[in-house]
Amino acid sequence: MIKFEEELKKFHPSLEVEDAEEAIYNQDLTDMTDILLRMLGKAGNYEADVEDN
Amino acid sequence: MVCYHCGVRLSEHDFCTGCGADVSLYKRILAASNRLYNDGLEKAGVRDLAGAVSALKQSLKYNKNNIKARNLLGLCYFEMGEAVAALSEWVISKNIRPNRNIADEYIKMIQANQTRLDTINLTLRKFNQALSYCQQDSRDLAVIQLKKVLSNNPRYVKAHQLLALLYIADEEWNLAKIELQKCSEIDANNTITLKYLQEVGRMMLPEDVNWNNGKGKGNEDIVRYMSGNETIIQPAGRRDFRILTTIFNFAIGIAIGIAIAVSLILPARIKAAQLEVNDQVRAISEEMDTKTATINEMERRLLGLTEENERLAALLDEFRYAEIDSETSDNLLLAAAALVVGPLEDDRESLLERILFYMDSVSHDELSEANPAFHTLYFTILETVGAELGEMCFTSGYDFYRAEEYASAIPHLLRAFQYDPENDEAIWLLANAYDRNGETDKAREAYAQVIEYFPDTDKATRSQERLVELNITGA
Repeated sequence: MIKFEEELKKFHPSLEVEDAEEAIYNQDLTDMTDILLRMLGKAGNYEADVEDN
Repeated sequence: MVCYHCGVRLSEHDFCTGCGADVSLYKRILAASNRLYNDGLEKAGVRDLAGAVSALKQSLKYNKNNIKARNLLGLCYFEMGEAVAALSEWVISKNIRPNRNIADEYIKMIQANQTRLDTINLTLRKFNQALSYCQQDSRDLAVIQLKKVLSNNPRYVKAHQLLALLYIADEEWNLAKIELQKCSEIDANNTITLKYLQEVGRMMLPEDVNWNNGKGKGNEDIVRYMSGNETIIQPAGRRDFRILTTIFNFAIGIAIGIAIAVSLILPARIKAAQLEVNDQVRAISEEMDTKTATINEMERRLLGLTEENERLAALLDEFRYAEIDSETSDNLLLAAAALVVGPLEDDRESLLERILFYMDSVSHDELSEANPAFHTLYFTILETVGAELGEMCFTSGYDFYRAEEYASAIPHLLRAFQYDPENDEAIWLLANAYDRNGETDKAREAYAQVIEYFPDTDKATRSQERLVELNITGA
């Protein structure tokens, strides 16, 4: 049985044209490659620290 | 595919041939992104837009620089009516790859038509307003607003779904199903759509399902028909009642129309007719005034012509008098001239003879038609020398009378009485001359003149006696 109020919560206001710019700037564009590179960067730093010690 | 470290194109090896970096994991990530893009492309091809959106979003989570996946995601959004979301994806795509990017054409296509952009924005605002109405529990207003949204953008899946949800809440199962079927035509495998369809299918009666699918005859006691996008369901007997109601309303409408015509239109028509009649009367009056003025002018001219005619007639009379009196007037004037100038040249007797000559030449018939001025002149001459002229004529006539030459005596005696009407002897001798000359009728007239002009005289008595004698004898 569908509950109207519960279903209504799933609907969100659509973005209007004026809101498009803000939506673009606020969009999280972080992807798996960014995370990988960040992880590789940290791993490299860790190996360098170990070798230094 | 290039190395994330040095930018050299990667080979089939798990390391970069340029910098030696380990790219095995990086290549797997990009491969996963591409795989998800392919999955999204396949789903979009069979109109599973929601699935395509989900796969493409996943693809972009693996690789944000997957331009194809981002552009396709924008297209899927646009197809579902989410124009702003589509624009956002395309703008990001264009920023990542400014050149040779089909997203640029998509953006230009939307921005080139400002009216279309305004319509899209207005549609989105109305949807948000409808959502707000739903949250305020104003379902009727929300339905109206959503219908407007869908009339502007029939491919707006979210609006169809919300409208279907409202119909479900109002237990309008058929209408909800119609909206959901429209959703399915756009987005074939949308989870929300399928969920609502399942609910609607469960709640609808078997005969309703059959009717809606066109497989059954339906309930004979129920009449269904479409009115625009609305499905009207009503009892079978209601239609006849509606026909009667329609006829009744039509009759009332005619009655109201007649009443309006009588109360509003008819007075206006009457007034217009009166104004027209007034205009005609005014025109006729003006015409009559013109004709009256013409008649007055004609009468005035007639009066003037009559006066002119009279004046000309009088002038003509004057000319006629002058013409008639031409010879008589000459003699009369000569007599007057002789009377004025004569005493200085001749003796009295010669003068009288000359005047008598002229006066005898005056025609009494012409003188009677002559100008009154000639009459005055004639009688002035007679007053001056009439007695003397009469005496001269009487002397001549008396001489002939004594000589018993009565025929010769008559003209002289006649002129003697003419120039001197006081001479009773002249008229008495004239009567006797006529009598003795055998002119009895003229004698009677002469005797009658004696009796008339000289009554109570001896001559009158004798004239009376002679008249008696003449009457007795019958001569």
